[in-house]
Amino acid sequence: MAAVKETIEDVRNLEADKYKYGFTTDIEQDLAPKGLNEETVRLISGKKDEPDWMLKWRLEALERFMALKEPEWAKVDYPKIDYQDIHYYAEPKAGAKYDSIDDVPEEILADFAKLGIPLKEQEVLLGVKGSENRVAVDAVFDSVSVVTTFKAELAKAGVIFCSISEALRDHPDLVRKYLGSVVPASDNYFATLNTAVFSDGSFVYVPPGVRCPMELSTYFRMNAEGTGQFERTLIIADKGAYVSYLEGCTAPMRDENQLHAAVVELVALDDAEIKYSTVQNWWPGDENGKGGVYNFVTKRGDCRGKNSKISWTQVETGSAITWKYPSCILRGENSRGEFYSIAVTNGRQQADTGTKMIHLGKGTTSRVISKGISAGRSDQTYRGLVSVHGKAEGARNFTQCDSLLIGDQCGAHTVPYVECKTPKAVLEHEATTTKLSEDQLFYARQRGLDEEAATALLVNGFVREVLQELPMEFAVEAQQLLKVSLEGSVG
Amino acid sequence: MTAILTHTQAEKALIGALDGATGWRAHLREATQRDGLPTRRNEFWKWSDLRRAANDVSGVGRLDVTGLDGLTNVKDGDRIELAVAASAGASAADAALVVPAGASVTLVETLKGAAGSLGNWHMTIRLEAGARLDRVVITDHDADAVFVGSAEIELAETATLNQTMVDTGARLSRNETHVTHPGQGASITMGGAYVLAAGRHADTTNLVHHTGPGGVTQQLVKGAVASGGHGVFQGKFIVDRAAQQTDARMTHRALMLGERAEIDAKPELEIYADDVQCAHGNALGTLDETALFYMRQRGLPKARARALLIESYLAEPLDRVQDEALRERLKASLRARLGALI
Repeated sequence: MAAVKETIEDVRNLEADKYKYGFTTDIEQDLAPKGLNEETVRLISGKKDEPDWMLKWRLEALERFMALKEPEWAKVDYPKIDYQDIHYYAEPKAGAKYDSIDDVPEEILADFAKLGIPLKEQEVLLGVKGSENRVAVDAVFDSVSVVTTFKAELAKAGVIFCSISEALRDHPDLVRKYLGSVVPASDNYFATLNTAVFSDGSFVYVPPGVRCPMELSTYFRMNAEGTGQFERTLIIADKGAYVSYLEGCTAPMRDENQLHAAVVELVALDDAEIKYSTVQNWWPGDENGKGGVYNFVTKRGDCRGKNSKISWTQVETGSAITWKYPSCILRGENSRGEFYSIAVTNGRQQADTGTKMIHLGKGTTSRVISKGISAGRSDQTYRGLVSVHGKAEGARNFTQCDSLLIGDQCGAHTVPYVECKTPKAVLEHEATTTKLSEDQLFYARQRGLDEEAATALLVNGFVREVLQELPMEFAVEAQQLLKVSLEGSVG
Repeated sequence: MTAILTHTQAEKALIGALDGATGWRAHLREATQRDGLPTRRNEFWKWSDLRRAANDVSGVGRLDVTGLDGLTNVKDGDRIELAVAASAGASAADAALVVPAGASVTLVETLKGAAGSLGNWHMTIRLEAGARLDRVVITDHDADAVFVGSAEIELAETATLNQTMVDTGARLSRNETHVTHPGQGASITMGGAYVLAAGRHADTTNLVHHTGPGGVTQQLVKGAVASGGHGVFQGKFIVDRAAQQTDARMTHRALMLGERAEIDAKPELEIYADDVQCAHGNALGTLDETALFYMRQRGLPKARARALLIESYLAEPLDRVQDEALRERLKASLRARLGALI
């Protein structure tokens, strides 16, 4: 009985606020003038007191970007973006970075609290029993990182966790060594744009042999109107290190489209492991496709050392348009790449997402599990590449991508590319596309679940393999998100 | 915007060969004039660079087709044999076949490109209601031939298409089939096998467009590629919103037999209907060492054991050919190539 009641309440809550992150925070902000030009880049770089080489790198990227053409190969359709009509920088007026949590304006704290992000360390301690469940958070509000928690404790373990602007100031050599080494400025259209104008993001360095004592997390919040968010994340796991990192994203409901073009670079050296999880819930636009975030993101991990491992887990429920392919370059011998994805599209959302596994080293293995759910009038594409080079003897890949269609106005597409240049590799790929089984729905409904709850139950079963890969706390959140995203898709 | 295109000698030769052409050939001429021969920059030719492969082709060649008489007055039980041969130089030819309602017809096309040839062969086929076509395509190209065979096939309701291809490659050999599948009792079985020696390239590209409800499509392509060979498989199923209850399955499996073998595959699904069962599978690997060991233990020499294993692996799609004599002919041609390969 309790479960039924809970389900009913869940559904009622959803009716009340479909997208509960849609509020805006009223806070005075400093905005850079609209437009993409050298001045904007200089302004951003200047705000951060960046070294000369950074400014030079940015300006080169800007010059390159101006000469590039926007790619059109993805199976998404959107009106042309006016890159001159965007504020490339927005920061809370009181100054970008706060020395202590007590200095952070109440409005921002309240905003993050509404999102369920516990910034105050003591709250975290009070709220969660046991020390192993603590999560260190870097909170990025529009263009700036406002606060990073648990820094002192992490520092004790030797872990550096801070905003990338701080890292540029305090650890310039580390940043210079790795920044752009996985996703070069010339990588693709949106990565080039990001290189020119990125404003903030997280930086993580885990020293050799250290197992990061807690989960690290960044929370991205796009608040200001007419802005874009361009953050850059760089995570380095030195030899034998381990780190688990989670990012979450939300934005207010707005009629306009907001651009989010981020770059994430991961580097795993010998025997290191990075687990990167994303719960992406940018505002997807209303049911008629008005507004919503354009999520054009470049994410790539480089398994540089032997026996290293990078695992991507993503739950994608938001954004009007998603265009991202978290990838692994498996360079080190016996390195391993994993990609677990749940993508849900509803309304008029469009998603073109997947992964690339590039096997370069001997004995490299990869596993791709992708679950796509299309509902409403949405369109979703899995686009993936598994490439095995001539020297990758003993490489192994398993790919499974399943699509589920709910309703007859949506589309689900699968575009896998497989390239193999050695006989000593084994590659397997499977894909299926089906609808929810009428029999299973009937069974669940017979037992008293309404249609929506029954659908949510079956969908959760469909994606279970991926949910299992998420850190515990977020698996629960992700399940809730799935319910929200599919709300209204039945009947 | 469009870059000014300088035609290669092969392109000039092909345009010349198609001077005053009509129908499909006029279309080919126009496309070549406008875009040149396709390169890897063209998504549909991602792994088969035709422009580059045809680099050495010059002059106008001939594409001789014998057996064209068989395409007129087609009736139930007919067996049509077309021999298509391209001489050195660029050439193109096309033909059309209509299988009348209720008739069951076999069509065998043998494609043969000579050294230095760039042959283009196109069939337009229509199956009327209740018709059945067993189509078999066999290639027998010179190692220095470039040949593109393509077909546009349209099925009426309740028609059946059973297509099998055996491709032993060439400098570049591409077999492209586009089928319109109306569902409503129509069904398609298509597949084939490719065996590639060093320096040979074979590209199997298929598109099945499901436009009506209840269609069934089964596709199975298998391949074996020796060191220095290059196999390409591109499959695509489109399922329209109206094509509910479609049951479509695509499978591509291939063996890599040597160090520098390369296989590229893109099994694509594009689905707009919710009540469907669609699946694709793709597997690449090498010969099962345990099976090989087992056979050698029982006294079979290594080469013979390998040949047997590969042959049985590739036989699966060929077993769908109903005519026994034809089936044996296909297997024999594969066996001959395999013998030379091992």
